[in-house]
Amino acid sequence: MSASRRRSLAGALTLVSALALSACSDDGGGGSGADAGTVTMMVPLFGTAPDPKGEIHQAVEKLAGKKLAITWTPNAEYNEKTNVVLASDSIPDVMVIQDNKSPSFVQAAKAGAFWDLTDKLDKYPNLRPKSEQAWINAKTDGRNYGIYRVRPLLRSAIILRKDWLDKLGLKPPQTTDELYEIAKAFTERDPDGNGKKDTYGLILPKWPGVSFAASSPYNAIDVWFGAPNNYGTRDGKLVPEFDVPEFWEAQKYIKRFIDEGLVNADWATLDTAKWNDPFVQGKGGIIIDVNVRAGQLFDELKELDAETYDSKVAMAGNLSRPDGQKFSLPFTGYNGIVAVSKQRVRTDEQLDDVLRTLDKLASKEGSILLNNGIEGRNFRVENGYAVKIDDQDPGMKVVNNDVEYAFIQLGTTSSVGVAGDAYEWMRPSQAEQDWLKQRDELMNLDLQTAVHDPSLPVISQTAVERGATLNPIPTDARIKYLAGELTEEQFRAEIKRWYDSGGTQILTELQDGISKIGG
Amino acid sequence: MATDLAPPEAKAAPGHTPGRVPIRTALLRYRWLYLMLVPGLVYFALFKYLPMYGLTIAFQDFVPFLGYSGSPWVGLKHFEALFTGPDFGRLLFNTLFLALLTAVFVFPAPIVVALLLNELRVGVYKRFVQSLIYIPHFLSWTIVFSLTYLLFSVDFGLVAGWIHGLTGGARVDYLAQPDWFRPLVILQLLWKTSGWGTIIYLAALASVDPNLYEAARMDGAGRWRQFWHVTLPAIRPTIVVMAILTSGNLLDQSFEQIWLLTNSLNRSVADVFDTFVYYVGVQQGGYSYATAVGLFKGVAGVILIFGCNWLAKRLGQRGLF
Repeated sequence: MSASRRRSLAGALTLVSALALSACSDDGGGGSGADAGTVTMMVPLFGTAPDPKGEIHQAVEKLAGKKLAITWTPNAEYNEKTNVVLASDSIPDVMVIQDNKSPSFVQAAKAGAFWDLTDKLDKYPNLRPKSEQAWINAKTDGRNYGIYRVRPLLRSAIILRKDWLDKLGLKPPQTTDELYEIAKAFTERDPDGNGKKDTYGLILPKWPGVSFAASSPYNAIDVWFGAPNNYGTRDGKLVPEFDVPEFWEAQKYIKRFIDEGLVNADWATLDTAKWNDPFVQGKGGIIIDVNVRAGQLFDELKELDAETYDSKVAMAGNLSRPDGQKFSLPFTGYNGIVAVSKQRVRTDEQLDDVLRTLDKLASKEGSILLNNGIEGRNFRVENGYAVKIDDQDPGMKVVNNDVEYAFIQLGTTSSVGVAGDAYEWMRPSQAEQDWLKQRDELMNLDLQTAVHDPSLPVISQTAVERGATLNPIPTDARIKYLAGELTEEQFRAEIKRWYDSGGTQILTELQDGISKIGG
Repeated sequence: MATDLAPPEAKAAPGHTPGRVPIRTALLRYRWLYLMLVPGLVYFALFKYLPMYGLTIAFQDFVPFLGYSGSPWVGLKHFEALFTGPDFGRLLFNTLFLALLTAVFVFPAPIVVALLLNELRVGVYKRFVQSLIYIPHFLSWTIVFSLTYLLFSVDFGLVAGWIHGLTGGARVDYLAQPDWFRPLVILQLLWKTSGWGTIIYLAALASVDPNLYEAARMDGAGRWRQFWHVTLPAIRPTIVVMAILTSGNLLDQSFEQIWLLTNSLNRSVADVFDTFVYYVGVQQGGYSYATAVGLFKGVAGVILIFGCNWLAKRLGQRGLF
């Protein structure tokens, strides 16, 4: 009973009280003005918090030429903690903002809590944006309130059971039609050779959240068929992904998979955390997701059977549609930003000081330190790849934890999934090394046909205010249509309802915002 | 906010008629008791009443960075948006319907179980069963959901398979069908809460004077008669108090439970105030709107608890306050 009672307040009130308490307690201690020798930071943490006296922390301080007072905050609660900190008056000098489109950050930034860095980074060779697209994507309502933390600009890929393909004499797909044929063969031609018809092609999970454009397998297929990525321009007008003829082609394509039983029966309810299971257990053979998932699958299959795992994963890039045209689903190219607080860093000189520190961390030397560690201490370089030294040693485990689960989060030019100037870690098997190479090739190839989302740098106020009502409308309607609970006419009626309940307004606001920043 | 309505101090001194003893003398005489009250009072003031100040943001367009004093006041804007918005009717219906089902099926369950346990003769077996049925209470909703998934999944669900074997026809996707959403919620609640809920009733049953049973037997009452005329009247006050306390929570659905069971196909029946507040407030950052929804729910809970208390008194039972 008391648990459910607490729950009743959980949504809003506990949050509010947390804000209230933190605001109270911070009143006394809120220092003013940055201490020239120390930079305070708030950074996400994926493991145990590094000891400030530890080797890596000391090395980073030495490189930065500053003392660093870092508040390490567990990733799972990072966004909530961010909201609390934003509400207090003790924002650290430098703060990693993971969701820089969240209403609370947008409001704080517009109210002047952070430096607008849009025109300020040219002097810093390592902070200057390397990718124009990621720089645009990382904008918040047209301005850059921080330095983006780089991630691959394109991660979409198809991962297939290689042993099944080999057994049936098939090749990884290039076109949507080939993917369909493979899924059909995986379902009907007994790819595991056990004499039973107990396999299927595509593994689809229940996609978490209710936003329509969420880099889901559905979004990937929409884009392959030529629909916009979230929003796009048709005849000079901004239209949503779900209201173009190509979108309907894509829906019919997906529906065929479901109607013919080429997907898992629980496709509407399967938890994304269990997405790999059918693949590893040999029930389903195709996953449309991010390319790094192949690495996970290698690891999981290896646990099951270390002998043959390397012959079980194949990867393909984005597909071309039946008429031969190809469109690819890109990602945003960044994961959150590193923002500088205006509250404590007050003058341009102080800002310059902080940015020079961050510039050092983004250099080649800094990248290697934050991503790999200390060469000769916890890793050595072989053929251009980093190889761990003695990684079972307890002391070394601490060093590796500090790097991989903590300081890597401070990387802006190289980080998780993008080696940049740092070293890529060596993978044990030839198949995995080939896969890494293929991953980069496919990424560069597909980037040429990437369909970018023009609405990313813009914020629609209506979408913020009425998102809870509007977002589920097209998202749920699609799933219901695919499940056969809505006809195409009913689906179209739902889309009209989206327009009428505020969708039209969202489009107008986004259109205005996009033309304002000249996109 | 039903929690705040009956702080222990309200009931602390009903036995001593304050009219006769001057308050000073009473304070002096029971100073240690009053002193022991202080931590409780501080707790409620600090963690229950003080945070209520935050409710003011329901009447503001709250921007965390600007704080309570800096955010603009907007009066009842968020309440208007809630009551006239397209979601309100559906949310209210879903919440109330689930509340009704909970009141009808989940509330009596521990009473029934406790009465059944009370009739058991073998003490060891009774204690064994008791311990066993407490276990689900300690499992998180995530685990309960995983179990539900294993049992009812359309792909490999155990129970789903049995039912399919018995009835034939097409396989039913219990987890995705809107019609099956509410039964699953109630089943989960029954499984998770009814065992633990028996504790309070078993305690009440244990305090029934054995002489009453003996007297009833002397008068020739059988088991059923004893149950009807001795056991039930004895635990009736407990049932009434529990009913009043529960009424304040009727509009609270277990957030995690609902959230985990929701998917695109059953959302139309699954959306309740609690999940809506989470989505609007925590995910979308609409603090003010979410607080307005939460406040509405809190007020409704208060009305329910007072209403039930009044009703209990009207029906001749001792109320809670």
